[in-house]
Amino acid sequence: MYQRTVPGQYFAPHKIEEALEILSKYGKEIKIIAGGTDLLVQYYDRLYEVNSWLDLRNISGLKNIRINKNEMEIGAMVRHAQLEKSEDIKKYFLILSQAAADIGSPQIRNRGTIGGNIVNASPAGDLLSPLMAYDAQFKLQSNQREMIVPAEEFFIGPKKTILKPDQLLTRIILPLPKEMTYGCWIKIGKRKALAIATIILALVVKMAEDNKTVKDVRTCLGSVAPTPIEIKEIRKKMVGKYFEQLDFAELGQIVEDKISPIDDIRGTREYRKDVAKNIMINALEEIDSARRLYK
Amino acid sequence: MNKLMIELTINGKKRKVETTPSTRLLDLLRDDLHLTGTKEGCGKGECGACTVIMNGELVASCLVLAPQADGAVITTIEGIGDDKCLDPVQEAFIETGAVQCGFCTPGMILAAKKLLEENSHPDEEEIKRGISGNLCRCTGYQKIFDAVKLAVNRLSSRDGGRSEKDA
Repeated sequence: MYQRTVPGQYFAPHKIEEALEILSKYGKEIKIIAGGTDLLVQYYDRLYEVNSWLDLRNISGLKNIRINKNEMEIGAMVRHAQLEKSEDIKKYFLILSQAAADIGSPQIRNRGTIGGNIVNASPAGDLLSPLMAYDAQFKLQSNQREMIVPAEEFFIGPKKTILKPDQLLTRIILPLPKEMTYGCWIKIGKRKALAIATIILALVVKMAEDNKTVKDVRTCLGSVAPTPIEIKEIRKKMVGKYFEQLDFAELGQIVEDKISPIDDIRGTREYRKDVAKNIMINALEEIDSARRLYK
Repeated sequence: MNKLMIELTINGKKRKVETTPSTRLLDLLRDDLHLTGTKEGCGKGECGACTVIMNGELVASCLVLAPQADGAVITTIEGIGDDKCLDPVQEAFIETGAVQCGFCTPGMILAAKKLLEENSHPDEEEIKRGISGNLCRCTGYQKIFDAVKLAVNRLSSRDGGRSEKDA
């Protein structure tokens, strides 16, 4: 279906349209490279297997963070260091900034991109749970059409997404919070730097105007299932309730019961279940004290 | 494999190099340009031995394809100090004994340089974070922290302690 490329072609177009044209021609015969911090690790020692490259670095239209009315648009080539430092992201989506600051090392944050983190679709991807918790949507473009999908529909398995070979993830769209919004980000790993998460929790709570009643909540976890997941049962238990009447231990137990982690080198299933419960309780406590401080 | 030409500025000199799409910047520096101060440790971006400064940012050169560096301005350890006069960070590393086997040193010095460029008076936590992408298996890091602190003192006394007063 797709044309075979000449071995060793290297494309570095300046416009999104040119990139889409190249993709429509070569599809999966070509490797898309953004920051390369995951890709070049995967292809370590077998770079020769890659037939041709599509390098997105020159496409300036993919490198911006901007606010349009009620939403923020983040270009797929925005780097982790940019997310970490952006004042707008700190203001509206604090735990996304915190998650970016916890990725890898300075060397990795200077190269790795939000789009790469999403498309790589690791169950442990640091930005994925916060993005889901903020109701992110992804814009996928091809030569033929463009579509916008919610984050939770995008991931279908470990390193698997709905992205087609001729499609490019171009933008991440986040609705600006209208309500008083509190967030908590917890990443458990073996060390501070360069740790692939053993477990991740991104908890975002929206409060009603009284700052007492929970209006909405997202409880998103990473490294506990084949994809980043939201524990929807928490919504039922929290929405409409007074925050101070919540039973944190019960909510922690629900998180523990609803996840399906595996044993791997970073931690056992049992450990992850225990920790999931505890970090949920910690996150609720943290949000509670932040809420009380705000008058 | 197709060949392609790229142009980059390395340690202040413009270089034109023929390379392939699947050559890493690390290999281009070491094998083609014989700048062997940049080391390969893990090859997977975890150890920082291959650290260089590219377009003003700290990067792991094992995770950059050579064509991605087309047009880039790069500083390697060879571009820090010269035969007659070492950089204050290099001097501090020697004086505090922060160099043992030496394999991590080029990357460590570039990470320290970059840190001090952005933050002239880092505290202990900031120093740790600044060099968190660089592994050292000899020193236990304490002497490296000491070196960075010594460099901070030297640099701030050099500019008449001005930045200290400002802060």
